[in-house]
Amino acid sequence: MTVQPRLAGETGSWRASARSWYASGDALPFLLLAPSIVLMLAVIAYPMLTGFMYGFSTGTLLKPGKFVGLDNYLRLLQSPDFLHALWFSLLFAIFNVIGCYVLGLALALLMNQDVPFRGFFRVALLLPWIVPSIVSIVSWRWMMADQHALFNQIIGAFGGSPIYFLSDQNWAIAAVIVIKIWRSFPFMMLSLLAALQGIDRSLYEAAALDGASRWNQLRYVTMPQLRNISIVLCLLMTIWTVNDFDTPWLLTQGGPANATENLVLLAYRYTFGRNDVGLGSAVSFITLIILMALVVVMLRRQRER
Amino acid sequence: MTTKARAHLRKAGMLASIAAAALIGLAPMAASSADAVKLNFWDMIWGPPEYIDAAKELVGEFNKQHPEIQVEYRSVPWNNWYQTFVTAISSGTAPDISTGAGYQAVQLYDQGAIRPIDDVIAELKADGELDDFLPNTVDTLRYDDHYVALPWGIDIRVWFYRKDLLEQAGVKVPTTWEELRAAAKATTKDGKYGIVASGDTGGSHFLYNAILNNGGGLFTADRKLDLKNDRNMEAFEALAAMVADGSVSPASTGYNSDDRRAAFNRGQAAFTLDGPGLIAQAGAEAKNIGVLPPLAGPHGDKATIFWVNNIMVYEQTKHPDEVKTFLKWWSKNQLPLWTKGNTGQLPTRKSIAADKAIKDDVARAYVLDNYVPIGKTTATNASGIFPALNDVEGEGAMQSFAQELWQGKPVGPIVDTAETRLKSILKE
Repeated sequence: MTVQPRLAGETGSWRASARSWYASGDALPFLLLAPSIVLMLAVIAYPMLTGFMYGFSTGTLLKPGKFVGLDNYLRLLQSPDFLHALWFSLLFAIFNVIGCYVLGLALALLMNQDVPFRGFFRVALLLPWIVPSIVSIVSWRWMMADQHALFNQIIGAFGGSPIYFLSDQNWAIAAVIVIKIWRSFPFMMLSLLAALQGIDRSLYEAAALDGASRWNQLRYVTMPQLRNISIVLCLLMTIWTVNDFDTPWLLTQGGPANATENLVLLAYRYTFGRNDVGLGSAVSFITLIILMALVVVMLRRQRER
Repeated sequence: MTTKARAHLRKAGMLASIAAAALIGLAPMAASSADAVKLNFWDMIWGPPEYIDAAKELVGEFNKQHPEIQVEYRSVPWNNWYQTFVTAISSGTAPDISTGAGYQAVQLYDQGAIRPIDDVIAELKADGELDDFLPNTVDTLRYDDHYVALPWGIDIRVWFYRKDLLEQAGVKVPTTWEELRAAAKATTKDGKYGIVASGDTGGSHFLYNAILNNGGGLFTADRKLDLKNDRNMEAFEALAAMVADGSVSPASTGYNSDDRRAAFNRGQAAFTLDGPGLIAQAGAEAKNIGVLPPLAGPHGDKATIFWVNNIMVYEQTKHPDEVKTFLKWWSKNQLPLWTKGNTGQLPTRKSIAADKAIKDDVARAYVLDNYVPIGKTTATNASGIFPALNDVEGEGAMQSFAQELWQGKPVGPIVDTAETRLKSILKE
């Protein structure tokens, strides 16, 4: 009997506060954000949380298994497949980031000059980024599939023996990396070109007055000005490379003998090929942790500088 | 009128509009629901583009004959088929009925998604219609003492040869594995190879074909992995010997099945292993391609890998009786899938196999008569099929095995690797 009036009073006061908060106009931003927050919770937070929980259990997507604690993670750490996928993902990311950055920077510097047909080249160099991955990678496959393919015709014209790019582990790894660099450099080029055009010309004029050579201008004026954008670009490219499914899948399906299987392909194979959703989720979360750690370290170092 | 009254009036008007819209919107649905039961039928793409048209037409024919049941046809691509079905089932939007590859029904049944069709089998038996199915088809789909699906098509792997290349090399059509090895060696010249294989799932079929042809099998009778039995090892060594001879195209590891088929059709290899539809899809080159007779292994065994593709009913269906009606009708009337749809599958019904259209296709008729009776599943030497087979075939352990075999690596270590992976899949 004594509780009810108190609760009613509390509810009334809660309602009153909510009304006054709403009337003050402070609620409006939250109300406007609410649909986006709900959407993000539904499409990002919920699947992520569900995936995280799957990592601690056995079973399939249709038939949940039992809770096994850290067993999936411990199994992964002892699995040669996982260790290889981790190694290949790192190799893939390092070579691609360096390759596409160097190529992108070189072309951006070139496109920043007053070269003939600059407009045409700027558009043409974007093509690898624009063409859908299925089209470009299948075309690459045709060019290197066997002894009759274009690359081997060229090698043959110089008297060389055919190279079976997709049948040999080392060549397949090189092919996946080269194609990824080819697909990635336009983004680097475009972003760096935009940054280059934002550099104050007076810095170059001052450097020239001080007698700086073109190389020293690049080293002491251009590169420091590009440092922040370069860090962001390299971070983004690392994330995109580690998460790249299209390039290795469409080119080699992770073969030969799993040589080009990265963490994403391994998660896919465990989840849908082996039907072991716990193991697949564990791979995904380890990938996420690695990427998050990398982002945190890089951003912290950038802030310290 | 006061502001409050106007607000009430507006509210009432809105409610009335919503109610009217709902009534208008629901009215035709209610009427159509009362008129006919709607079924969703998901069909995998079992042939060239005309297959889909033929299947749609057939569904239209059923709908015409059964106005009380209206079937909606949806063609499902093979890419990510498992994800497609799993997502649909877990979100409660599974079809009422679907076709699927060899082990789909048993795998989904094991996860509680498939409705057994024991009653349909009993009715077909009572009608005498069950005898119309080829031997070794209906019982292949029995698992856990239940029939989980009805067979509709057979996929099988057979050896094909290039008539022109054998003729140029002066080699007769091989009938044993020993002769195949010699013929492959003899036809390897001038940049052409005796055998072209692939490194994808199709590549693993070479392994299954070899072990079954040699009287081996992946499993023991009690479903335990038996990869390293003597017959299997002998078969793997036979394939490795052909690689060592230089008779297998070095591009095989990196090829997928489309690449392999294209290379064979271009005349870049004398032999390949493929499905029965290869000749029909070879265009102008069809005249140069023949089917080898079933090869005798070193111990005289003859066998190959086959899959009984099937049609299954989902637990989520709200209309099991109507689905049953459609299932039986579809099974009995599916001849146009071959005559108009040009499916690469082989029929599982004797009445369809006996049709002139099937008989006139010499290669297909030959495969039906000579290969289907010796077809065995991946489950061999266990009886029937079981859910883990889908993971065994889909996980890629045997693909990696095939890739390394075509690379010329020694058999011992690659069998060990494959065994470790398969045991991990099978949780042994």
